Amino acid sequence: MFELSTDACNIKKLRDGDFSAYNAIYLGDFSCPEYPQNFSSNANKLKEGLELVKSRGQKAYLRLYAVPSNHDMPWVLDLIDAALELSFDAFEVHNLGLLRVLQEKKSTVPVHLGVFGNLYTHETAKLLKEYGVTRVYPNPELSLKEISYIADNSPIDVLLPVHGKIPLVISETCFIMEHTDNSKPCANGVCSFPCLEDHWLKRGRDDGSLNDWSLKDTGRMTLSGKDMCLVEHADMLVAEGFTAFYVQNKGEADDYAGRVGAIYRAALERAFAGQKDADCTPWLTELGALSQEGLCNGYYFEGAGQRYIGRN
Amino acid sequence: MVMMMAPGGTLEMAKMVLDEGAEAVYVGALGWSRRGAQDELSEDEIHHVMDYAAHLGREVRVVVNTLPSSIEIPMFLERVARYASWGARGFMISDVGAMRLVRQMLPDVHIHTSVGCGITNYEDVKFLRDIGATYVVLPYRLTVAEVEKIKRESGVGIEVFLFKTPSGGKICPGKCMMSSYFSFRRWLDANGKDHFFGSASRGGDCLRVCQTQWDFKVNNTGFQQPMTIKTNPTLWLGELPAYIAAGVDCLKVPGRDRSATLVRDIVRVYRRALDRIQESDHPDLSPFAGELEILRARWGTERGKRDNRLISEAEKATRGALVATL
Repeated sequence: MFELSTDACNIKKLRDGDFSAYNAIYLGDFSCPEYPQNFSSNANKLKEGLELVKSRGQKAYLRLYAVPSNHDMPWVLDLIDAALELSFDAFEVHNLGLLRVLQEKKSTVPVHLGVFGNLYTHETAKLLKEYGVTRVYPNPELSLKEISYIADNSPIDVLLPVHGKIPLVISETCFIMEHTDNSKPCANGVCSFPCLEDHWLKRGRDDGSLNDWSLKDTGRMTLSGKDMCLVEHADMLVAEGFTAFYVQNKGEADDYAGRVGAIYRAALERAFAGQKDADCTPWLTELGALSQEGLCNGYYFEGAGQRYIGRN
Repeated sequence: MVMMMAPGGTLEMAKMVLDEGAEAVYVGALGWSRRGAQDELSEDEIHHVMDYAAHLGREVRVVVNTLPSSIEIPMFLERVARYASWGARGFMISDVGAMRLVRQMLPDVHIHTSVGCGITNYEDVKFLRDIGATYVVLPYRLTVAEVEKIKRESGVGIEVFLFKTPSGGKICPGKCMMSSYFSFRRWLDANGKDHFFGSASRGGDCLRVCQTQWDFKVNNTGFQQPMTIKTNPTLWLGELPAYIAAGVDCLKVPGRDRSATLVRDIVRVYRRALDRIQESDHPDLSPFAGELEILRARWGTERGKRDNRLISEAEKATRGALVATL
């Protein structure tokens, strides 16, 4: 009926979290190859992760590094070769060059275009289909109307993010390392994984200002401060014909995916069963409590990403 | 011979850079380029620039590098066809689907990939070549050796900015949506064209929120002085002979959103430097160092003023949106 998916960057996250609400798991952190035991950069971890996901009856999608430089290409190609020996249900690709690599390797593994693939139009979706892309993650700046148009006018599935922080920027260098105190190992270019602690960029807080801008920084990726939330709009999403939904889990606590997933599983099952206008208050209360900076809708309703518009 | 391509953010600027010896000028079509309307040209102005360039034997590139809505694609193609009929020799494009359609429709025009394509490696270049790009603009941070390798292996035209980021920081543009996350508005004009405030990718100005002062906190405790979160690129010159030797085909002068006189002076210096490089196997560029320093300082001053204006607009828009939702 529908697929609910999320992400887990390494085997520890996969073991420690509750992923029972999900049909599929995107394995790996596409933003940082240095992240500990990251599936996206450790070929020797792929089999273990894949088997654990499969043992739970879920699909396993492998995330490839989003911004490989020329220097990264050799190890990325080795990882792809190792992954092709396994039975992943899809690869998630953000980089158009890697799409070309997969085509040259004559890979038959379905490809999902990731958030930094810059998918804005149905014409791009049609082009990418020729490179083996079967599903796209639309650029977060698109409205629901624009996403629906792409879904209706291209031979490709659309993954709709429904909850979690919005990926806004990706970089090939680590912002946290660049600004680490000289006394710490990171200052010498040796990563000691300071990103395991929560890092935030904020302005306008603590002074009564209304310009409350906040961003979460994970080192090589910057995310929205607020958690995007569409639980109030589940009926409408189902009516629009969407069937693949995603919860963003990067940088969150171990219990985040489980608690959010359970809520969306319930909300979507009700919506698909035609039980409209569910009372979302308890869900919103719990989701709000999980979010340090509050909730937003992203760009789905044609406003700034950090705004929140309720069902009524 | 390497082509120097300079900006025409206004009609006046476009004429000035052609007068100063740029081989081509690039102009943004109103509503279709990664800048606000003040740095784009109307239809009449674009037509005028084409006539002016043709009279001098130079070329015009039209910047249509927004990432459009799907429903805008027919309008996009109609516009590109019109500019080509007026004499535009090439276009700068970001959306790869639109890029392929232009190649199918106009086999003989040059297609320059926009910085919005966010290239990071040589396979990206080959992908873009395969779908019809004739010039691929490389990111600021590639070394001369990487440029040479890409040129050798891809055979595509190589374009580089006369602009480099000195250190790390966030990738921009092509992989950044910070501006529109805080301030974003969309409206349709009478012709059904989408217009956006707050998103460079979609045709407005990036509101430069990265250049305001941010508190960096770990576990809710501040551990750094307030900081900006992106380093700014700067004009460069010293490696120019090496880049040209590596096979660079097109040098892009930045500055569509700067003053016409500053851009004119930048083109004047680079024109002389390029001529010197092409006249000698061992060109001495040291006489240009002082002039370049002055230009960098002027650039920094103008950038600061523009950034402050845009950040103020972002703050105002955010405040308005918050009041509206309270």
